[in-house]
Amino acid sequence: MEKVIEIKDVTKDFGNGRGIFDIDLSIYKGEMLGFIGPNGAGKTTTIRTIMGFIKPDKGSITVKGMDAWKDSARIKQFVGYVPGEIGFPDYKSGTDFLKAIAEFKGVKDLSYANYLIEKLQLDPSANLKRMSKGMKQKTAIVASLLADNDIIILDEPTTGLDPLMRVSFLDIIKAEKAKGKTIFMSSHVYEELEKTCDRVALINNGRIVDVVKLDDIKNRKVTDFKIEFTNRDDYLNFKRLNYQIIRDQETYNQVTITIEKDRIKMLFNDLTNYQVKFIAEIKYTLERHFNELIKRGEVI
Amino acid sequence: MIKIEVEHFTKDYGFGRGVFDISFQIHEGEVYGFLGPNGAGKSTTIRHLLGFSKPDKGHTRILGMETFTNYDKFMDKIGYLPGEIALPEGLTGYEFIEMIKELKRVKDDKYIKYLCDLFEVDPTGETKRMSLGMKRKLAIVAAFMNDPEILILDEPTSGLDLKMQQVFIDFIKEEKERGKTILLSSHIFSEVDATCDRIAIIKEGKIVAEFYATDLKHSKNKNYEVEFSSLDDLHVFRNLYEKSDKFTIINQEDNHLLININDENINYLIKALSHVHFRSFSQLKETLEDYFMKYYKEDRDFGGAIQWKKS
Repeated sequence: MEKVIEIKDVTKDFGNGRGIFDIDLSIYKGEMLGFIGPNGAGKTTTIRTIMGFIKPDKGSITVKGMDAWKDSARIKQFVGYVPGEIGFPDYKSGTDFLKAIAEFKGVKDLSYANYLIEKLQLDPSANLKRMSKGMKQKTAIVASLLADNDIIILDEPTTGLDPLMRVSFLDIIKAEKAKGKTIFMSSHVYEELEKTCDRVALINNGRIVDVVKLDDIKNRKVTDFKIEFTNRDDYLNFKRLNYQIIRDQETYNQVTITIEKDRIKMLFNDLTNYQVKFIAEIKYTLERHFNELIKRGEVI
Repeated sequence: MIKIEVEHFTKDYGFGRGVFDISFQIHEGEVYGFLGPNGAGKSTTIRHLLGFSKPDKGHTRILGMETFTNYDKFMDKIGYLPGEIALPEGLTGYEFIEMIKELKRVKDDKYIKYLCDLFEVDPTGETKRMSLGMKRKLAIVAAFMNDPEILILDEPTSGLDLKMQQVFIDFIKEEKERGKTILLSSHIFSEVDATCDRIAIIKEGKIVAEFYATDLKHSKNKNYEVEFSSLDDLHVFRNLYEKSDKFTIINQEDNHLLININDENINYLIKALSHVHFRSFSQLKETLEDYFMKYYKEDRDFGGAIQWKKS
């Protein structure tokens, strides 16, 4: 598979333990890679290094084979980019700013820009300086996508958007992905990445600690059920069976078990012997995956 | 005991904007979530509750007092965290904290220090040069330094990172434990989910739903998806239970069935499934987000095209 963005062994040391260290990450053509981690973990530094705003101390980054630092001006022309903290240049209105971006990117036809404006319900004629956080964010999103570039890099694009706008934005991104675009998106919100990405990288203290395929999370061989029994005897008798109990809440006559999916049928056969009050599935999510990594101490 | 009360409150800004005849009450020790998109009326309601503005109709009361005319009497009992933070310029964080300390007549530094440590506030340096997150954390210290009994929070975690969002959520839970009454306006589902006892969904200036969080979280009404081993198995099951009054088959896709059932009939479903072959059994859980979206779905696509102005 073609690597569209290739980060090889990149370090940028700001001192006092701040920075990014030995980052190795590739983003393949047509892939959407998510990027999650606490503030100060190095998400924005990584993204700014890809965009050529920061020169790495060591290692190399290429975008479509071009050096991110040396060819940064050219790269900016064919990458759609939403920065993490938005500081707009001095244009009067959103419209003026978007037109300047369109010109910079050589875009003649503004119909896609208009489609995005409509979808995000943005009034770009407003004064750039006086826009609310949400409006600024929408303007930045339109600016990043209006040229219909093949590569999109988004640094926390949904900050400041309300839930309806978030849904509209995610719809837009899914459509971009369906067009075969290569997308790199950082976010604070697990569910957002879960709904859109092929893979997600977790960064902490400047280092990539895990890269996970969402398919592996969704298609786990095991699943967890929480079962509550109507009476104490059934609860106690069930516990004697050979199921792997991962949580036992005695006061509620409740157990949580983890079970291979192909044994669920067997579980149900066993359960016919007891009075069950309810059965609920405990989903394995991206958030749980990373939290369990952290709990097991696999993440510093 | 009712600490916060909004009764038939209306504020009409014209053009359909505003808040229209909304009522709710927040009891002592309760965390009440106010959930809605931008422009739905959350901040308008909050700003009236603080006495910044006078209702067109109805009442906004805190501790039983009409807020517009009595704000001087309850201001020292509430901590307000606004949605967009504007700190005075030309001050360091320390100077800002000192200023608020004097305003709120806080004598003791102990709680301030506790808050600064908890939220990792670095008050050195000028407020103007602080990051968004640091400004918000400074505002948190300013709002809560006098340990008020009522907290009014307007989008409190926007601009905070994941770790700090969690710290804030834990803080709200602790405050609740200490008996504080809290109004939390937010559109971040996870934080509303994690903290609120009751939740109101607000849409176009009206409350369209109000419910206890536990009713949603531990709903006895569940949806399960069953993947049968073959279409034959599915048909056997369907033929046997199509007309069952114990559960409802709501959808079929290939060899998958979507089943709706109340917990009280679960043993019946377990028995039914023990007679056929199936490959997987999973629950489709309605999240707060799903529930919220139900009220908003119908007008997801709004608005006409905005014309580019010819310059």
